Amino acid sequence: MSSSQIPNLLSSRGGPRLRGRGRGRGGPSTLSASSRRDQNVQSTDTDAAVSRLSAVSLGYLDDPFAQYFVHGNGIRRLPIINRGTYTRTTALDTLINSFLSSSDPISNQPSRQIISLGAGTDTRYFRLRDQNRHHNLVYHEFDFPAVCAAKKQIVEANRPILGGDEGIFPNGPNGGVPDGDSNPEPEWGLLRSVDGETQERYICHPLDLRRLPSLESLSSFRGLRSDLPTLVISECCLCYLDIDIATDVVKWFGGRIPELGIVIYEPIGVDDPFGQMMVENLAARGIFMPTIQRYRSLSDQRARLAALEFQERNGAGGGSDAATIEDIWEQWVPAEEKERLNSLEGLDEVEEWQMLARHYAVAWGWKGGAALLKPPQTSREEQ
Amino acid sequence: MSDLDKAIAQLRACRTIPEAQVRELCHKARELLIEEGNVVTVTAPVTICGDIHGQFHDLMELFRVGGDVPDTNYLFMGDFVDRGFYSLESFLLLLCLKVRYPDRMTLIRGNHESRQITTVYGFYDECLRKYGSANVWRYCCEVFDYLALGAIVLGASSSLQPSRQPKTQSDSGSTQEYIDPDIEIEVLNAEGGYINSFPRTRSNNAAQSSPKGSPPTKTGPPGSGASGWSTGTPGNPGGAVLCVHGGLSPLIDTVDKIRLLDRKQEVPHEGAMCDLLWSDPDEIDGWGLSPRGAGFLFGSDIVKVFNHANDLSLIARAHQLVMEGFKEMFDNTIVTVWSAPNYCYRCGNVAAILELGEDGSGEGIMSRSNGDVGRSDGGVMKEKERVLLSGPARRYRVFQAAPQDSRGMPAKQPVADYFL
Repeated sequence: MSSSQIPNLLSSRGGPRLRGRGRGRGGPSTLSASSRRDQNVQSTDTDAAVSRLSAVSLGYLDDPFAQYFVHGNGIRRLPIINRGTYTRTTALDTLINSFLSSSDPISNQPSRQIISLGAGTDTRYFRLRDQNRHHNLVYHEFDFPAVCAAKKQIVEANRPILGGDEGIFPNGPNGGVPDGDSNPEPEWGLLRSVDGETQERYICHPLDLRRLPSLESLSSFRGLRSDLPTLVISECCLCYLDIDIATDVVKWFGGRIPELGIVIYEPIGVDDPFGQMMVENLAARGIFMPTIQRYRSLSDQRARLAALEFQERNGAGGGSDAATIEDIWEQWVPAEEKERLNSLEGLDEVEEWQMLARHYAVAWGWKGGAALLKPPQTSREEQ
Repeated sequence: MSDLDKAIAQLRACRTIPEAQVRELCHKARELLIEEGNVVTVTAPVTICGDIHGQFHDLMELFRVGGDVPDTNYLFMGDFVDRGFYSLESFLLLLCLKVRYPDRMTLIRGNHESRQITTVYGFYDECLRKYGSANVWRYCCEVFDYLALGAIVLGASSSLQPSRQPKTQSDSGSTQEYIDPDIEIEVLNAEGGYINSFPRTRSNNAAQSSPKGSPPTKTGPPGSGASGWSTGTPGNPGGAVLCVHGGLSPLIDTVDKIRLLDRKQEVPHEGAMCDLLWSDPDEIDGWGLSPRGAGFLFGSDIVKVFNHANDLSLIARAHQLVMEGFKEMFDNTIVTVWSAPNYCYRCGNVAAILELGEDGSGEGIMSRSNGDVGRSDGGVMKEKERVLLSGPARRYRVFQAAPQDSRGMPAKQPVADYFL
């Protein structure tokens, strides 16, 4: 990617539109092309947080924590975006709940581990805690150092709600992995008292994921365990990495954690005009998704997971599957829930919804044990 | 230059006009529209357009491709506002043109011309943003209530006439030399270049040439959405064309029943007026529930019975995004016309307008007015008795989104939302 292909950041911020190359000195344009690109990727998290709050405010989702991660009152998104945010969240909730419910939920000792890549301002841990589903869970988040630090600030500033009855660490020595520059952010997280013992159960790891493949072991990271059935979540994260790095990141976990599940949510379908326009529009915002060029369809996503060894091997269980957001809306969301959602706002744009929802996929896989992930029983036809 | 011409010039440059002027314009427009019936009669030649949705620059492209007002007689089938960034400029320009050239501009109501929908889909917010108050939105909504619900096009020719060429920077001066009189459907690109055409089939029985269960399957180049059904409609005496935003209603079996509705109100949540603005054709038998939560789905049998009973040869409607800009269905008895290219700056679709030529032969489809020949008691005809009227010759012009920045107008483009 040459720097001339990177649009001026100002143009995606509503500032003056500068045409041509290399103009616009000062401010963000003095950043290197790659750090500008990183900033654009980080800005997608703001986008997701605003969409989440919109869906919550209108009653699509129940998430009392969403408001703390958006500046101001937020923006009302269009009905198709709200429905998509709902469907994406519900799809992941469904798969994560099936992962958690395959263990003994009464036990207080860790028996499940979740690793959320590029988690950003995601509120899933807080929601799980709110629903009392966190007792046997260790929850990790990975994101850029700046994102992790910002999240810590928000949690500290809204401690009674976001901290719950848990304490924030670190108070002690800096345990973070330096990010290669002079500004290392410490790992931080929440701890709670379990059977008289203090345990770290929610840990944010400040890390540029592109560095992960070069790191040696899980012990580089505070609290990361290899002995628990683990679910890796990429909710629009791996798609921003180069294909090889995205592959290596998954392999890195796969090579170190025997019993592993994965859920990937990202756009697909660049082979039609809608998909081409999506790539173009995102490029205009300085956002590039290398994986969409490789994994173009549901079957590509399934093959991707199978190639990453999410399949039966040597007698050990495994498997993978994928569905579009449209499939999930149609088949995973029960009729009465659809009725409730439809009554929240009119959704006039049926054709546009179908087109948009067809361009996002949820792919999931597991290996090394019993089925960790069970989608709802559906009559979906193979595509 | 009159104030109205000044307002038109200003709006053409994509600049809003003062609130007081909007108020005056809306008042004049209401006075004009109140005189129109629920179903406006329009005489060919006419250019029929579908949804615009505030895509102002694309509306300018439409005028370039279709010809300017008043040179071209336009019929817009609603959904002027919402979604796009320039609903105000688009609607006010169309309204100015309506007031300035009432006989060359027909506007009918879409489901987005409603208070409730515009508060969700952007027009209300745009008015607040651009005027600081909801007054202009209120004026516009009052105009919405007076818009006609449909139009009947009479006098359309059954054969194509040479087409005008859109303005280009370097006019090549090319004209069409010869038009085959047997051509029923012609598809042209934005510059008037030939894309495709389909001849009319000479048959007296629609059933022979339109076997059931052979819906269009082929999707050809842009704009050739009709190509799966390329045999055209049989050559019978012509009929009129009904234009409506959405489609039919189970409560409406004749065009005259549309005329009896009390339209001067907010679009209701149900009932005939709602259905006309919300319904969609679908590959079903009879009527079905709409996934939109308003209006109905209706099948080809419904359209054929309705067209027969009302001496219609074609229903033209908008309302649904079609990637190729237009789509004829049900043996060419109904067409969807979509005029917002790259809808919402996201969908990657092309747009189309439909031109119906003027019948110069004196034997065309003026021969009967709709619904007055004792057929409106129909509705339960057997297939073999049904004789479909031949469609008028149809010229579709397919165009793409206007290149931004190229027309000296503001280039601000909303960011299309994705899930990130």
